[in-house]
Amino acid sequence: MTDSSSDTRKAILERVRKSTSLLPEKTPYPDYPNDVARSAPHLQEENPLENFRKNFETAHGIFFDTVSKLKEYLLKENFRVGFCDPALLDIFHSALAPEIELTTTFDRSRIDVCAFGITRAAGAIAETGTIILNDETTCTRLGALAPWVHVAIISPKLIHETIGDAISALGKDPNTIWATGPSKTADVEGILIEGVHGPGVQACLFI
Amino acid sequence: MSNSGLLTAQNRPTGKRVMMMATCLCDAFFDDVAKASVEVLEYLGCEVLFPEGQTCCGQPAFNSGDWDSSRKVVRHTERVFSGAEPVIVPSGSCAAMLFHGAPLEFEKCSDAKKVDALANRTWEIIDFIVNGLGVKEWPGTLNERVVFHESCHSRGTKSGEAIRTLLGSIAGLKVSPIGESEQCCGFGGTFSVSFPNISTAMGDLKIEHVLEANPDWLVSGDMSCMMHLRGLAEKEGRQLRVRHVIQILRDALASAHLLP
Amino acid sequence: MKTQPIDQFAAHLSHEVHTSVRDSSVKRTAQRKDALWKDFEDPNALRRLAGQIKQHTLDHLDTYIEKAESALKANGAQVHFAADAEHAQKLILELLHKRNATRVVKTKSMATEEIHLGPFLEKNGVESFETDLGEFIVQIDNDHPSHIVTPIIHKNRKQIARSFEKFGIPLPNDDPESITKAARIFMRQKYLDADVAITGANFLSAESGKIVLVTNEGNARFCLAGGSMHIALVGIEKVVPKDRDLTVFLNLLARSATGQQLTVYTEFIGGPKGATQPDGPQEMHVIFLDNGRTEVLESDCREILRCIRCGACLNVCPVYRQASGHAYRSVYPGPLGAVLSPALAGSHFAALADLPKASSLCGACNEVCPVDIPIPDLLLRLRNRAKEERLPSPGTPPLGGWALLATRPFVWRMAMLSTQLLNLLPLHHLPLPGLKSWTDRRTLPEWRGGEFRKWMKARKGKSND
Repeated sequence: MTDSSSDTRKAILERVRKSTSLLPEKTPYPDYPNDVARSAPHLQEENPLENFRKNFETAHGIFFDTVSKLKEYLLKENFRVGFCDPALLDIFHSALAPEIELTTTFDRSRIDVCAFGITRAAGAIAETGTIILNDETTCTRLGALAPWVHVAIISPKLIHETIGDAISALGKDPNTIWATGPSKTADVEGILIEGVHGPGVQACLFI
Repeated sequence: MSNSGLLTAQNRPTGKRVMMMATCLCDAFFDDVAKASVEVLEYLGCEVLFPEGQTCCGQPAFNSGDWDSSRKVVRHTERVFSGAEPVIVPSGSCAAMLFHGAPLEFEKCSDAKKVDALANRTWEIIDFIVNGLGVKEWPGTLNERVVFHESCHSRGTKSGEAIRTLLGSIAGLKVSPIGESEQCCGFGGTFSVSFPNISTAMGDLKIEHVLEANPDWLVSGDMSCMMHLRGLAEKEGRQLRVRHVIQILRDALASAHLLP
Repeated sequence: MKTQPIDQFAAHLSHEVHTSVRDSSVKRTAQRKDALWKDFEDPNALRRLAGQIKQHTLDHLDTYIEKAESALKANGAQVHFAADAEHAQKLILELLHKRNATRVVKTKSMATEEIHLGPFLEKNGVESFETDLGEFIVQIDNDHPSHIVTPIIHKNRKQIARSFEKFGIPLPNDDPESITKAARIFMRQKYLDADVAITGANFLSAESGKIVLVTNEGNARFCLAGGSMHIALVGIEKVVPKDRDLTVFLNLLARSATGQQLTVYTEFIGGPKGATQPDGPQEMHVIFLDNGRTEVLESDCREILRCIRCGACLNVCPVYRQASGHAYRSVYPGPLGAVLSPALAGSHFAALADLPKASSLCGACNEVCPVDIPIPDLLLRLRNRAKEERLPSPGTPPLGGWALLATRPFVWRMAMLSTQLLNLLPLHHLPLPGLKSWTDRRTLPEWRGGEFRKWMKARKGKSND
């Protein structure tokens, strides 16, 4: 911290302390249950996976039941080259070959070569259809972000019911990202466009 | 929908001996609204006291930021209405001035307690009839169609629901919904003269929506909104018939020959 | 008679902008309502809870800043404090110089708008790009955002396409899709070339030191995958006590802002990138920004610091809908801005003292506020402050004479009775000097001063007989 910054720190804290000490009464921290913002209408299905699926699809995510469905989709869209987390290569190399080529290094200088990226997710949120990514499970941030399609590979054991549950499980990871559907904007005339900076297609596959 | 912006006090006094604040608008323009208020309250068995010294609630100066002037008027009002009876106001706006605005401008004053005490006795008239006296149904028949404009100063209070309850219970009366019903009429006190373009644009929008429903009457719990909308419509050569809710209740009583 | 600056701005607003602002506001307001009332039994209880958490934080802000600071340091971030805009600019430039950084990518951040960071960096030879599509368009147009969530609500596709071409980004046509795609392609290289990513923060948990950033476009993710240093400029009021509080705020923020259940990307940043992670900043700096906030905290408008910048109060405000965001002449427009901008202005209060007048006090802003800020009360307090500082208020009639009359019941009654005295009378909410402004646009009802009192007297007489 520079001198100017540490002087300012002192000044800010002193000023805040003084003004809060003058308050006739201070607002207490409210007592509230963990599920205070649980949205029941989003959790009407039979099990966490079905809830997730419904909400994920509402958020315009593509849910693949099987690897072969994923392959079908990639072929239909003519996405022939993709990035794959090396830890997942065993599963996907044989399943997608020979029509689809996978690379396990994500080259910063050629980020648009890969049409899709397959990476592991740290979990999911049923209530919102959200995929949870973090540094521990995402082998490269760019590989899960730059390609047009991102396919998140999730274990069904890692589905949290609500946003609150997922927050309790944040842990120490330096970078947790919740992705709820594809990247989007409505900046131009309020018209919704998908695929701005992040993936235009957010897909997932539970393994 | 409720909010914490305009909360009426818990446990306000009720009972059949009441003080009425007529409001300066009724004093100057809308005498029939004040008369209807008295007639309806008396029909309900109330003894209506009218303190002669009353003038205004203090809101014009409060809203324009001149709290010094406003506090003078509020102090006067507090003296005029001293007592323990409920204070009944045929205006959501003036009522809110007494139960919310006045305590706000007196926060740092030594006589804040007196003002708070007045605040805790203040009722908007329909809120009083429904939630104070427990009247949930209204007799009489009116074969008319009305649009109800819920004035902004009843946001968060129980007045809007109370008005809807009573209007909805009058035989033959149809209450038509309108678009953007939660939008302000554009009056806003001195706002109407210092922001004439925005104020009238807001008013025009409301008038469009009201006229689309083609009602016999536009009704409200606040004559200030009605004065603004009617005045604006008339200047533009359009006809908008306005009435206070209490006048509708009085008319309904008359239809059933329930008035002396 | 003179009228207020915001009213004049509204009178000259183009039909195009007016329509676009109005349509978007109406739509957003409806979406917000739908999302909240479909999903929760009592959204108002949730708003009040959020307000209480925020107010609790503000009432104990010194403690929470210190907690947040320790947690950030434990996460490996370096923490700085900036007194004002100039100081924050200087700290940022020093950090850039230390790294020999010349290329910056930025996410949308009101705090960086407040310190005019973009133009400052440009002036100092640093290439800096706004990465949010709307903010990027504002940047290449040398314009200002007119809404805190939808910054280019005042522009249409034709204007945007012209700006792109002028800037040197070719477009096949002016479809929003083409515009978006062109921005996507242009920005990718900027992310990868950037030395430093500068962001704001939507929230900062004092408990874990995690900074929360929400975006729909994914630009924050890209900024934090490309750059090797992250600087977050964080207003001191952005702190929340615990991680669990984020549940309340995230649920309310997206629904209030855009009617979404959750913003597409919610990013929790707890320090520089992990050791095995190839992408992302190795160095993270957090700058706490005061810039008038401690003064607001001392004032009777401190509740405005609860604001989480959702824009719901703008969208619902009938005055904003008529006037648009630029009418407010400051970084923060709408009802929130009408309080926050003058409150933050310090010694420049007078220049923005008209903003709190731009309201009919209808209270719709309070009704939609996710942290239940009593905005109308704060507007009134600022009006009172302006009056006490004897600042001029064009179009607002003086009310001292009215108060004199209203405290003298006998004179009052006499005045009510004599129609001839109409022009000397302070009509309710309509004092004399405003009379012309009233009658220019509206008629007055028939004068019936004293009629009710006469009737009441006669009635009493009758009942006493």
